[in-house]
Order: sequence, then structure tokens, then C-alpha cells
Amino acid sequence: MLEKLQQVFRKVFEDDNLIITQSTSASHIKMWDSLTHLQLIAEIEAEFKVKFTFDQVMMFNSVADILKLI
Amino acid sequence: MTLNSPLFFLFLFIVVFINYFISKSLRATLLVAASFLFIGYYNIESLITLVVFSLLNFFLAKKVIANRSLYVLALFLNISAILLFNYFSKITNGLGVSISGFQFSFTHFFIALGLSFYSLQNIAYITEVRFKRIQSESSLINYLLYCSFFPKVISGPVMLPNEFLPRISSVTITKSDLIIGFKRLLLGLFKKIVIADRLVAAVSSVFDFNSDYAGITTITAAYLFTIQMYFDFSGYTDMAMGAAKMLGFELKENFDTPLRSSSVTEFWRRWHISLIAWFTKYIYYPLVYRLRDYKKYAALAGIAVTFILSGLWHRIGFTFICWALCHVFYLSFELLTKRSRLNLSEKFNNIFYKSFTVFLVFNAVCFSNIFFRAESVEKAIHLIKNSCTHFIPADWLSGYIAPLAVGGHQVDEFNFFTSIFIALFVLLFEKKINRLALKENYSILYVVLIMLLIMVFGIFNSGTRFIYMQF
Repeated sequence: MLEKLQQVFRKVFEDDNLIITQSTSASHIKMWDSLTHLQLIAEIEAEFKVKFTFDQVMMFNSVADILKLI
Repeated sequence: MTLNSPLFFLFLFIVVFINYFISKSLRATLLVAASFLFIGYYNIESLITLVVFSLLNFFLAKKVIANRSLYVLALFLNISAILLFNYFSKITNGLGVSISGFQFSFTHFFIALGLSFYSLQNIAYITEVRFKRIQSESSLINYLLYCSFFPKVISGPVMLPNEFLPRISSVTITKSDLIIGFKRLLLGLFKKIVIADRLVAAVSSVFDFNSDYAGITTITAAYLFTIQMYFDFSGYTDMAMGAAKMLGFELKENFDTPLRSSSVTEFWRRWHISLIAWFTKYIYYPLVYRLRDYKKYAALAGIAVTFILSGLWHRIGFTFICWALCHVFYLSFELLTKRSRLNLSEKFNNIFYKSFTVFLVFNAVCFSNIFFRAESVEKAIHLIKNSCTHFIPADWLSGYIAPLAVGGHQVDEFNFFTSIFIALFVLLFEKKINRLALKENYSILYVVLIMLLIMVFGIFNSGTRFIYMQF
């Protein structure tokens, strides 16, 4: 699942060499900010066929937060 | 009674003294009474408006979970308050009516002190309760304090309910709070009357009077306005935070050396932080969440709507729409070029590239602020055209220095250069100066030095209004 999520991160943040781990958070990725956050969420929802609530989306700050809900 | 008037200092020290020695359980009541006195002294209409809106929101919040219509009504009332504030603040002569000897003005009910700031707090509170993120406040006194707390009621910082309400019952005040709070209060006063107020004449000379100066004169005035506004508003925030600290409260930081930002996106993370946090949480994220399937277009729409609403929150008018559109353009451009700009910054990872981007962002912000400051769009466009034509004046002294050093005498020129020197010095060592204000070390030396600087270089005219008091 982490591998699949990594592909989404690479696509959204336009970086083919990006490596993510459970502990990767918004502070580790310069491209990950309030302007790109919901783009990332939309791509994850499409890739994993899930729907997040607004409050869940607002809580996501790290890869671990996302993995818990997909 | 503005925060930089002598009367405010007398008022603050009396309240701090009583608050320090009074029983913990009575502090909220004391501070509500002091806040009502502070607002009522400005005008009675402001106090009535604040109490009415606080009570409305307090009681409506108890019903909004079960009743969506009441939530919509509460939103409608608060948004109407902001719009009416902006509409009526343009009108100077209100309709007056005398009731039982008191002189009331209808317009003053709408241009009530701090209305557009505490309405944002009311919207945040009612929304958090509606979506069950917090429980409705049980204590009316605590809610009145959240709305009216006098250090922040005029111009923020905009506190979200979870950042203020839970702390009220656990307020403790140490001697360290009193010392650090006082140091911060003095720092704010220094920024206001030694830096911001000294730049008023130069800025006003170009923006309010003759607009046909040479390009370099106009550009310098635009730079100076941004610096003036920064020190005016961050000075106000320092004073608000210092006063709050002396009363046992921590308010949210509003500025984080924003003029050093290397992108406009970063600038908005560091300038008027509490307002942008509000707009991001209650406008940008809910909108982009609904549109998220459109991916990048959703973010672009979110930026446009958020900034146009932010412009209208400041004032209903074309100048603020133009100001907002500048930032919509900057942020959209940065979103679309984010990866390539990051690659560039990694490739040219040096002080020159960083300085170049900071200078570029500063210019972009100053350009947008021409619309913020100018009285009309026509005037702003005239100034922008002016700055592109006849850039260098024929005579430097009469075409460049004299218009900015208003007065024309040598002493005015000396005063002008002193103002520039102080502003640049503080901008350069800002982080160190801020750190010194937030520590207990060297307190006596710090207080004596700041007071001396205020007495020697300050502009004393019994409390000039802060720029953000008009919003």
C-alpha cells in the first residue's frame, strides 16, 4: 500500500525520486502545503476508491495519518 | 482611546494591577467590565452592538446543532454585520437621533469598534459548534470575554474559539508574564511611534497630495508604505500581545518577519497570520474540498474566492478588489510553477538567489499595496504609470529627496534619513530584537533603551490611529 501511495505522492508533487515512509509529514515535503493538500487528497481518493470526510482531510498531516484511513 | 494613547496606558496599568491581585474566579468578570469600559469609552453604540452580537451568537449556538436554519441565520447576521460595517464606514456623516439626552448615530452601530474582527470570531464559534468540533460555551461571561477582550477587540489577532475559550478558566499570571508583557508592549509602541508614524509624511506626500513625482520617488513611497503598514500593524499586534500577556493571556502571533519571504505563498504564511488562518479554514478548505475532483483548478478557484472575499472584508471597493486580484495572480502563478521554482532554488542554493527572490516578492507586495493605499483605482493606475515614466528626476534634491522629506528644510531631510535608517536597522535585526523582547534577560537595560529611543525619536500626537482600526 505504501508503494502505491508513493506513486500518488510522486505524481502530485511532480518528483519521480520522492521516497515516502510512515513518518513522512508535510514538513518534509516542500511541495506539500495548503495549496496542494486537497489535490493530494483527490488523487488518493481516486486511486484507492475511498472518500474522506472534511474533518478527516483537515487532520491529515503525515503519511501515517493517511494510511490509517485507506 | 487607541493603544498608543497615554490614557490607554493608565487604563491598562490599573486593570493589570487589579487583575494581578484579584481572586482567580473574578478575573473573567473584571476583564469583561474593563473591556466594556474600553469599548464604551470609544462610543456607546459600539458597546451596544458588541453586546447584542455576542448574546445572539451565544444563544443561537446552543440550538445550531439540531437546527440548520438557525446556523444559516447566525451566518447571515454575522456576514451582514461585516458588509454593513464596510458599507457604512465609507459614509462620514451618519443620521443622528437624540434619545433621552444621549446623542446616538445610526451609522455608529454599524461602524462599531472591532465589529469586522469579532464577527469573524463569532462565525468561527458558531461553525465549530454546528459541526461538533467544540461544545457550546456554558459561561456567558467567558463568551463575552472571547468577543470583547480589549487588547484584541480593535484589530485582532483573530482568535479561534478553541485557542481562547478553554484558557480563560486556567489563567495564571507570573512576574515573568508582567515583565515580558511590558517589554513587548514597549516594543509595539516603539514600532508605531518611532518607525511607522515617522514614515507617514513621506507616504502621504505622494499618495495624498501631488502624484506627479518622478518614478523613483513614487516607487520609494510605495516601498515606504509597505514598511509603514508593517510596523504600524505589527506594532499594534505587539502591544495587544504584550497587554494580553500582562493580563495572563497568550494571543496568536500575527507576524513572522514577512518582509523576508521568498515567495508570496510564504508571505501569506507570515503576514496577518490569524486572518489568513481564518480564511483558509472557513473559506478556502471547505470550498476546495467540495471542488477537489477538479484538482489544480479547484485550488485556483479557492485562491480566487478566498482573496476576493478577503479584499471585500477589508473594504467594499474596487481598490481592494484590485489588491486582491494582484494576490490571486501571484499565488496562482506560484502554484502552477511550484516545481520549477523549487528546482531553481535547489540549483542556485545561495544567498544571491535568496536575496533576489526576497526582493522580487517585496516588490510584488509593494505593487499590490499601491491599490491598498490609493484612494481610487484611477489614482493607483496614475501612480503606477508615473513610476514607469520619467523615472529619474532632473534634480535629485527637488525631485527625489524634498517630496519625501516633507518640509524642504535641512532638518526635514535629516529627519527623513533618520527614519529610513531606524526602519532598515530594525528590519535587519528584527529577529534579534524580537527575541530580546520575549526574554527576561537585560530587562532594565532593554526598557530604558527603548524608552529613550521613544522619547528622542518618537512622534507624539496623542495617539494616531492604527491603519487596521478602519477595518
